[in-house]
Amino acid sequence: MQEWQFLVPDKKHKKKFFGNLKAEVIDAKLCCHCAACAAICPVDGIVSGDQPIDFPNWVKECVDCGACIKVCPRWEYKPLKGIGNYIEAISAKSKRFKGQDGAMVTEITATALEMGLIEKAIFVSRDEEWRTKMVTIRSPVQLYDRKVTGTKYSYADVLPALKDAVIESKAVAFVGTPCMISAVRKMQKSFKKFERVKLAIGLFCTENFYHHQLSEFLAKKGVDLRLATKTDIKKGKFIVRFVDGGRVSFPVKEFEEIIPSGCKVCQDFAAVESDVSVGSVGSESGFSTVIVRSEIAKKVIDQIREKGTAEIKEPDIQAVQKLCEYKVKIHPYPPKEKEKTQ
Amino acid sequence: MKVEKISRSPLEELKRHVGVIQEAFKQAVIPDRVTIEYPRERRKYPENLRGFIVLDKSRCISCFRCAQICPANAIQMSYFENFYPGIDYTKCIFCHFCVESCPTGALASSTLHDMAFKSLEDMKVKPNQMMRLPATIREDVQSVEYDVTKKGWRLIRKMELEDIKVVRILPKLKPRRAFCLEPESCLGCRQCMEVCPHEAIVMERCEITLEGQIVGKGCVLKITEKCVGCGLCVRQCPMKILSLKEVE
Repeated sequence: MQEWQFLVPDKKHKKKFFGNLKAEVIDAKLCCHCAACAAICPVDGIVSGDQPIDFPNWVKECVDCGACIKVCPRWEYKPLKGIGNYIEAISAKSKRFKGQDGAMVTEITATALEMGLIEKAIFVSRDEEWRTKMVTIRSPVQLYDRKVTGTKYSYADVLPALKDAVIESKAVAFVGTPCMISAVRKMQKSFKKFERVKLAIGLFCTENFYHHQLSEFLAKKGVDLRLATKTDIKKGKFIVRFVDGGRVSFPVKEFEEIIPSGCKVCQDFAAVESDVSVGSVGSESGFSTVIVRSEIAKKVIDQIREKGTAEIKEPDIQAVQKLCEYKVKIHPYPPKEKEKTQ
Repeated sequence: MKVEKISRSPLEELKRHVGVIQEAFKQAVIPDRVTIEYPRERRKYPENLRGFIVLDKSRCISCFRCAQICPANAIQMSYFENFYPGIDYTKCIFCHFCVESCPTGALASSTLHDMAFKSLEDMKVKPNQMMRLPATIREDVQSVEYDVTKKGWRLIRKMELEDIKVVRILPKLKPRRAFCLEPESCLGCRQCMEVCPHEAIVMERCEITLEGQIVGKGCVLKITEKCVGCGLCVRQCPMKILSLKEVE
């Protein structure tokens, strides 16, 4: 005889749990598309990908376990804001890798792999048309691929891949947007197995896009993503660089119509709950700002310092602080439009 | 192409005929051909021949492993008293993965390989037909065995008949039971409960308490004595927190 207990969350509507999630999060336009629910769903019914989160035929197939509600970062949403607690902040540039700015996400992952702190890391790669696809990094050699490093600005199914990795191995790292980091923290609170996520690398984030909307929007502007080598958002401009060295840029304000509703209520810019946050804001070009928040990340940064694999400078923390405040201002919660209709 | 008529002398023709008759007599007395005269002769088969599969109902624990492993999808579990496997011989490829995967040795191989069915419908053998060997009509009068040596190979013919054997190889396993290794990671999806053929996993509603304080409403999942250690729940668990352990 053996027995164990599990908690069942409270329902707000008299429906199955996915019905609750749909009513309170997805239909309320709060869903941030972190795909935590798709990862945890025991019957693999919740679909993510390049479309809003959905569970076709949930009335029949949902097993009513409530796991999706336990992990959803937007269930009973309390927005996180500000720069958060941190041990130290540096501005750095990797000497080995090439990435978005200073390639510090890549450098931190590679160092953690070399130190043996993690067995594998979940990264987002892309295909020719900049569709996201998941890759598992097992050795630093894989990180020299330029398709793996660099920002994609499209939703990716990181967390479903992370769940598979967590079941297989004992120490995993992943790179994600602030909402994914919050989702993983919620997973760790509810399900012990996710404590195997040892290193959560957060990215500075203002918004993310659906791939089909982004590529359609850019196609309208005459940009062929197949020829692009790098996409970037800097100083309020979306910049696309091409194979032939050319570049075009558009003000981010023009993207307003394709910003998904879930991102419009998010106020967490600096991935407050991560182990280490990385982004370009607060550093000169070619460098990344690294905000170290936990002991394990501190160990990795100390190792980088000792080995001298990165150039290290002082960051401009004021600039990061400013952007955190700016994000709270442009993404009010509860949303302003709601007030207008009332 | 032209065929020229071969002319032979009558003496040569006669010589050939005598030779043929001589060979025929020799074969009748001491045959040295290596073909088996089926069904008058029946070959002695090795014990590990993969033939008709026999089911021992008392050993079967309804774990569905045979049905899950079957690469040809030939096994259908049908219900009487409990779930038992039936084999569709139109699909079976005689790989005997089912026999090897059986954790209790309920399925066994026999040396019967030549089966005849009256219709395609009859080839879907039901569990109760699998419990004994089918009725056999024996036309063989002698058994043969291959004797392979360095010089070559020949057939040894014996007058005694070979029996059709059922070879049951029992797996060397201690009784096992499912255990939850990490209750803190349970999703509460009850997939283990759904898949269990013996209703050995049960769920009860409860109030979750933490040091005497009631925290919230929850459920208790129990693995009861009914568990036979088939491992279906272990395979089903989405968090992979269940495992089989040997019990004394």
